[in-house]
Amino acid sequence: MEVFDIAMNTWTPLLLEGNGLPYRIPIHPNLVHLTLGLFIVAIAFDIVAALYPLEKPIFKFLAIPVTSAGLYDVGWFNMVAAAVVTFFTVAAGFYEILLADPPDDIISPWGLNATDTMVWHGIGGVLLLALIVGMTVWRGFQRYLWREDRARQVQWSYLGSGLLIFGLMFAQGTLGAHLGGDFGVHVTADRLIWAGISPNEIDKGPADEVLTKSPTIGSREKGPQD
Amino acid sequence: MFENLLPPLNNHNLPYPDTIHPIVVHFVIAMVLFAVVCDAIGYFTKNSRLHEAGWWNMVFATISIFIAIVFGQVEAGLAMPYAAATGDLNLHTLIGWSLSGILAAITGWRYIIRLKSPGKLPAAYIGMNAVLTVIVLFQVYLGDRLVWVYGLHTEAVVEAARSGLLK
Repeated sequence: MEVFDIAMNTWTPLLLEGNGLPYRIPIHPNLVHLTLGLFIVAIAFDIVAALYPLEKPIFKFLAIPVTSAGLYDVGWFNMVAAAVVTFFTVAAGFYEILLADPPDDIISPWGLNATDTMVWHGIGGVLLLALIVGMTVWRGFQRYLWREDRARQVQWSYLGSGLLIFGLMFAQGTLGAHLGGDFGVHVTADRLIWAGISPNEIDKGPADEVLTKSPTIGSREKGPQD
Repeated sequence: MFENLLPPLNNHNLPYPDTIHPIVVHFVIAMVLFAVVCDAIGYFTKNSRLHEAGWWNMVFATISIFIAIVFGQVEAGLAMPYAAATGDLNLHTLIGWSLSGILAAITGWRYIIRLKSPGKLPAAYIGMNAVLTVIVLFQVYLGDRLVWVYGLHTEAVVEAARSGLLK
């Protein structure tokens, strides 16, 4: 029993951050910046590269030297980076879902409760990871095997698939926005409000408490016991 | 005169469904950080392809940051920040505007480097990248606090602020 108590004592403070996580800022939403930014820009640059003949006069007017090979490099490197990062994005997402403590009395603008939103967001995450990895492999084959000596390094079907995945990402992102913005999952202020505490108390530590209290003057017994 | 043209504010205190600033900043955060990674690897492996990727990612980041600032200002103006959140919101605004200047200057410098000595980067530029990374990461941290700690534009905070319970 004592062992259990010690274990509890070492673990509870870890989860005592106001957001229900053992750290102050959720990690998943930050990795999401990287996944989405890298993937969307990868597809965008492949589109710009594929349409390069049309854009030539614009780049010339801007006095920016451009080679379509350079634009395709962005399409490839960014896609590889998106695939690598997204494993961590999904892993962090599942960890933070496991620690979520969502309210059960709120319905999202899409008519889902918090648990359903989390389940769909979790499924969407795994699906998107698979699609991003698949797109990376497809892109690699086009770059190094199938279209190595072609002027246009990517197939139109690849670019079309990328645009369809943008649509899935929009839906996935909106579900994520509902989890933070509507259900307040891992949002410190929302959790404090529901607990009846003002979020203005967030940054107040023990020192603030001592400073705002009037000092107590009394006998030695009121002091530290040891 | 124009206020009647905007849709009414929703329960996030926004005239559109969800915050847009955190979406646009994907393209500043991811592109700057990846450009720095590409430049660093390209610098040590002398790979000019990675330098090209670094340059284009910086161009994309620089265009995006101005769009991010427009939406950032709109959403900061509608954020109803309470006492504890105002300090971070002000600092995030100050650094955000500064970062647009810093990014534009670095990308301009990069444009000249790319014209004059393609495929090569001076060590000073790599050093500048390191400074830029620190500023961007700090700015991300502040933005994270505004969303995930102070919950600005979340339903619960908007509701509390509208009812006058949270100032």
